[in-house]
Amino acid sequence: MDSAHREEVAQRVLALSGADETEVMVWNERSELTRFTHNSVHQNVAESDVSIKVRAIIGKRTGVATTNLMDESGLRALVDRAVEMANLAPEDPELPPLPAGGPTQTPEGAYVKDTGNASPHLRAQMCDAIFKTAEEHDYWCAGFASTSEAGVTIVNSNGARASFDGTDAAVNVKMNASDSSGYAEGFNNDVNRVDARAIGRTAAQKARDSAHPRTVEPGEWTVILEPAAFGELFTYVSSHFSAQSFDEGSSFLSDGLDKKYLGDNVTITDDYAHPLAPGMPFDFEGQPTQRLALIEDGIAKNIVTDSYWAHKLGRSNTGHALPAPNAYGPQAMHLVVAPGSKPTNELIAETQRGLLITRFWYIRTVDQKKAIVTGMTRDGTFLIENGALAGGVRNMRFNHSIIEALRSCEFANALHRTGSYAYSVVVPAAKIQGFKFSSGTDF
Amino acid sequence: MSFDALAQRALDTAAKRGGQYADIRFEVDRTERIEARNGVVATLSDTTSRGYGIRALVDGAWGFAAGSDLSDAGIDRTAARAVEIAKAGAAIARSRLGEPPRRAYNDTFVTPIKRDPHDVPLGERVLLLLDAEKALHVSPQIRVGRAWMDLWTIDKVFYSSIGSKIEQSVRQTGSGMEALAVGEGDVQSRTFPGDIGLYKTGGWEIIEQAHLLDNAQRIGEEAVALLTAPQSPSGTLDIILGGSQVSLQIHESCGHPAELDRVMGWEANFSGVSFLEIDQLGKLKYGSDLVTIVIDNTLPEGLATLGYDDEGTKSTVSDIIRNGLLVGYEMSNDTARTIGRESNACVRAQSWEFVPMIRMCNLNLLPGNTPFENLFDDVKDGIYMESNRSWSIDDHRLNFQFGCEIGWEIKNGKRGRILKNPTYAGITPKFWNSCDAIADERSWVAWGTPNCGKGEPMQTGHTAQCAAPARFRGVQVGVGYGG
Repeated sequence: MDSAHREEVAQRVLALSGADETEVMVWNERSELTRFTHNSVHQNVAESDVSIKVRAIIGKRTGVATTNLMDESGLRALVDRAVEMANLAPEDPELPPLPAGGPTQTPEGAYVKDTGNASPHLRAQMCDAIFKTAEEHDYWCAGFASTSEAGVTIVNSNGARASFDGTDAAVNVKMNASDSSGYAEGFNNDVNRVDARAIGRTAAQKARDSAHPRTVEPGEWTVILEPAAFGELFTYVSSHFSAQSFDEGSSFLSDGLDKKYLGDNVTITDDYAHPLAPGMPFDFEGQPTQRLALIEDGIAKNIVTDSYWAHKLGRSNTGHALPAPNAYGPQAMHLVVAPGSKPTNELIAETQRGLLITRFWYIRTVDQKKAIVTGMTRDGTFLIENGALAGGVRNMRFNHSIIEALRSCEFANALHRTGSYAYSVVVPAAKIQGFKFSSGTDF
Repeated sequence: MSFDALAQRALDTAAKRGGQYADIRFEVDRTERIEARNGVVATLSDTTSRGYGIRALVDGAWGFAAGSDLSDAGIDRTAARAVEIAKAGAAIARSRLGEPPRRAYNDTFVTPIKRDPHDVPLGERVLLLLDAEKALHVSPQIRVGRAWMDLWTIDKVFYSSIGSKIEQSVRQTGSGMEALAVGEGDVQSRTFPGDIGLYKTGGWEIIEQAHLLDNAQRIGEEAVALLTAPQSPSGTLDIILGGSQVSLQIHESCGHPAELDRVMGWEANFSGVSFLEIDQLGKLKYGSDLVTIVIDNTLPEGLATLGYDDEGTKSTVSDIIRNGLLVGYEMSNDTARTIGRESNACVRAQSWEFVPMIRMCNLNLLPGNTPFENLFDDVKDGIYMESNRSWSIDDHRLNFQFGCEIGWEIKNGKRGRILKNPTYAGITPKFWNSCDAIADERSWVAWGTPNCGKGEPMQTGHTAQCAAPARFRGVQVGVGYGG
């Protein structure tokens, strides 16, 4: 389904509604994923769907209905249900009008035809290259190769009109040796830029270099987090930039903007158009998304809003709405951490004793306000001694505040993307002092 | 509508394309959610999704394709895609992983309900949540109140090329509430019931079981009290866990590691592997003699209760842990045969769009014989913890750290003052072997978990872990806050 078809359906549904205000969202998706373990494919899936959502507003009352029954009676029933629910809903006195939208520009490289047309055989070839690397080393590998395309169109009765099509490709590999493992990943909108063989080789090298791991004592360590590790950690502060958590007091920024919270070298933006993760230039209300500086040189500069929270707080609408109905508030979905000046190798060379961490697992918030999180290292944790890697170490559990980490960190000079374009983080490797580990494992 | 003709078309197309076995699962899913938040209805939504997923097997490799186009052309295209995908996997296979089911069924299953939630006027449902949410606001320090309700209706029909036709109509219902209190440099939350809500199969009677209105004021007051409560201590203490926290402990440290696909490395790159390795079956002393954990997908009101799983295997009851000993796994057809067993019907898909995979379903810790109030009797120095706030476990499912919303000091057998930020940590078998009392069936609850993530693409499963409060001796506490 192309954007013209989506818009035609959306306008037809909009015309069916007798509500005071109506928003219609139509989206289609085709996603395919080939998953493997023990050097064979064990899950190989494809899914396609088209859905439509109506938000009907009557006075200050809202109802939302969604369906994938796209025939005429299905669409009529959809509108009727949304209107029926709006009629029965209590009033929300602070409900603003739907936004009027505005011009948007889809960033270059968001949609790549080769990715949209990728076949199961192409993904099989990518997997086979990884299998061969595993076999060369007498390892076994687990992971996936995926390709997808998706489109969304949003129109509303106040004039918003926006459409976007995007593609995604990803490879994820865990290479397993007898007493060690290694991990590597790649994400790009263009499947041709995801080099499965190279990703498999990186994972194999990490498994080889971390073989025969030793135990090190928990406690405070200087750590260098590779982008996959730092990116996963960093996502756990993304909700702190929301106007909702800011206003309700659960964000670390709730003491106010224009205050210094993080280190001088920390600059964080929300940028849907970053070349590593070109994404949707508008939000799920059809409002153009602003490319926003959230933290500059450690000082809080902005929070993200949608129409509701912009109205409630008297701020401008930055275009960061999630799909209605949304009890979670606006969200920053394209975070970018500005890089430093040194390559990762130099950060390692400058470290007398520390740990290089490839990846984390099962990070969870322990304390929301202080942004303390816990989690495990995984798939390639290395001792650094006298500025050089000195073999693998067994995995450990950490408990550390991300805010504290961002007050004592140094960044590498290269950026990497983790995650799909729809919810990406673009980050460098990060060196953090005094990172707290609380316990260890036997593996 | 009848799907018979479309199903036959799909199975015929798959066979013509080279599929050696195929099945198709049609689903019509309806999801209703209402959420009251700070005095207004933040969510009032009704979602309908209809589609089908086709599995095809070629030379030991599975292909899965799903679509919502119910035209003949759509069915043909999707069935052909499933076979094409299976062939692509078979072409690079180093081993045969896929096996078809052996037994066909022709049957129906309907969730028993006492009152259809849709018969309760929408206005009445909304009012219940608004009233409960309002009652949470016992102080200006309650900055966020939330109360929510979910109704799921899942109608599905499964057909296979070996002759199965299984029609199922499933109703799942749940509700809960949360108070978020904000003080000087601190944020504290209380949820009820449990940390997610009370989710079961059934109708409006499940909403009534939650008793939101009866508990809202207390939950609000506890959230406020936590702001000024002392920090829970660090060290090694005896702990008693409330039932919903025991449910989470089962989920993370028994349910996931006992998934046989995980044991076999099928989840290795993402959600990890398992310490419950096959050579430990019948040997590993997983827990104390009191610990018996069973899969029961026939349990009345269990959130994962179904007649048949999504491979067409009939629901059954089987042991995972019997008197502390590892004796079984959660299994599919494929995986069960690798250890010489038959599937115990633990295969589920989130919806028609997703490939069926092993899920933990209803996994129940059988109750003990100690009245709940007597669990405290011989605890000299300990903490009683309720409602999960944080959960993390390593990718072998051994090293865990959990935090709860609230603790109560226990001194000389008496429950005392409230403690904030209680956490505990351990190594799974050591922890379960320290269990020396489980409360009796009067406090045994079928706690549903409607948000269990697994697989790639990620699927959200609806599981249950029925549990009563339990006591554990000599546990590390206070980790994350100096311990």
